Amino acid sequence: MMTINAMQDPYSIDCPGRVSQIQAVMARENIDVYLGSRLRTLSWVTDAFCPWRSYVVIPAQGLPTVFTFVIDAARVADDSWLDEDHVLGYAPLGGMDQITQIADFITETLRLKKGRVGFESGMSNYLPEGNLTLYEYESFRSVLPEFEFVNSHHIVDRLSLIKDQGTINRFREASRIVDCGHKAVKEAISGGGWKGMTETEIAGIAALAMRKEGSVWEWSFTGGNEIASGYRTGLAGGACTPATTRKLSQGEPLMVDIHAMFKLCLGDHAHNYLLGRATDLQLLHARNFIDIVSQTLKTYSAGISPVAIAERMMELAETKGFAEHMVPGFEHGIGMMGDEWRIGMNDGPLPYWTNPEHAYRENEVVICALQYACPQDDIGFRYENPILITKDGCEPLSKFALGVEIVE
Amino acid sequence: MSEKFMYLSPAWRDEVEKRLKESLSPEKMKFITTSVSFNYLNCPDGKDRCLYFQCEEGIISEVAVGDAGSRQAEFVISGNYDLFSQVTRGTMSSQRALMSGRLKLKGNMVKALKLASLADRINKVMAGIPTDY
Repeated sequence: MMTINAMQDPYSIDCPGRVSQIQAVMARENIDVYLGSRLRTLSWVTDAFCPWRSYVVIPAQGLPTVFTFVIDAARVADDSWLDEDHVLGYAPLGGMDQITQIADFITETLRLKKGRVGFESGMSNYLPEGNLTLYEYESFRSVLPEFEFVNSHHIVDRLSLIKDQGTINRFREASRIVDCGHKAVKEAISGGGWKGMTETEIAGIAALAMRKEGSVWEWSFTGGNEIASGYRTGLAGGACTPATTRKLSQGEPLMVDIHAMFKLCLGDHAHNYLLGRATDLQLLHARNFIDIVSQTLKTYSAGISPVAIAERMMELAETKGFAEHMVPGFEHGIGMMGDEWRIGMNDGPLPYWTNPEHAYRENEVVICALQYACPQDDIGFRYENPILITKDGCEPLSKFALGVEIVE
Repeated sequence: MSEKFMYLSPAWRDEVEKRLKESLSPEKMKFITTSVSFNYLNCPDGKDRCLYFQCEEGIISEVAVGDAGSRQAEFVISGNYDLFSQVTRGTMSSQRALMSGRLKLKGNMVKALKLASLADRINKVMAGIPTDY
């Protein structure tokens, strides 16, 4: 059997190295064992998709051990770099529940009788974040009374902020796949093909094309591929549009926001159309939108902050007379699966929200995201594209040409 | 009338080993290699005991009764003597005992899943032994 070693595989990630990095910080912070529970932590450490409630226990030295729902443990072990002795299943059986198993693992397998447990707590606007619940926390405290529990999510957050080359390459591939989805949608709706179609059909056309190219999931928790038409494109704030069975209609806008996942890295690009014909008012909105997207992409670079971008872009929108149509935020975070919203360390003046003064650094990846919505005219547009922050600018990873296209 | 054996006695142990070797071929045991220790807590004499099985490539190579915790095994199942006796008699399923938390399992749950049907086969053989509890 031919094998591809890490040096040849452009998507290779040094997972043991990541664990060593975590352990080095644990040593500095006197953490004896790390109990990760967030989806982002599971993805970053295991390089496997862990959709069920899972935990990763990282000792001071040696390999981590994952605990996941028993029906999925063998698959997680197969997908990850860890062997089956380091991916254990919990189950609703005596001694096999997650609290008992993990506590026994810490005290018996790791032979720790007391010490400091790093765990993950906080809050998020993102539903599948995975912080330890109050019940879990109290249960672990109860069965591990000699241990001090220390909120340590910052360790993984800091280490995962700057993307390594393998991760960047995965993001590039995920975006290439998304571009194939957009190409398929454009071909399907062109030449009157849109007539009689529903938003859900558009979502499916994109999904099939992306799956053919290797996407494993239209990953977003906002409804997979988000398709909106007509007035739904212009809902105020409107950055969440799961596809409906609404039929596409002549003279309406169509927003196509599609998502691919490749090796846990995420593609996310939105493209916009006007169906059949466009009014002067619609074209004015489209020009406003394209202007501000273009300017935003030119503004990103290492050193700039979210608030600086927002100030500059809202000033532009105000000058051109469409500020009231803009959501005054121009990005959301992105990382491996489960790390969707955070920008930087989420250590701003409002706890667990973006620090507006976060200075972007080279090799951070964020989604450049703009929402233009004019409810009174039943029109809106969305732009999303993963961008790689570079020293002097940014690299948009999706290459699908920017524009609001009129399709006959 | 057939001979009755005292549960967990040396004679009962001998009968268990004999019947398992007669009834369970390596094929039926899927050629597995594993070990399991049943820890009986609160036996009638007040002691804790273990019933230990060793299986080598599908062959039952050892059945032992001893003090609880005296044998290291890949899987350890612990519970009260009364409960184990109900499971052995067939009046309580091992699934119910485990799902209710009255029996506690230690070991790799994923591997245990693969062995659950084999454990049932062993239990059925033991249930067929005339036993005084």
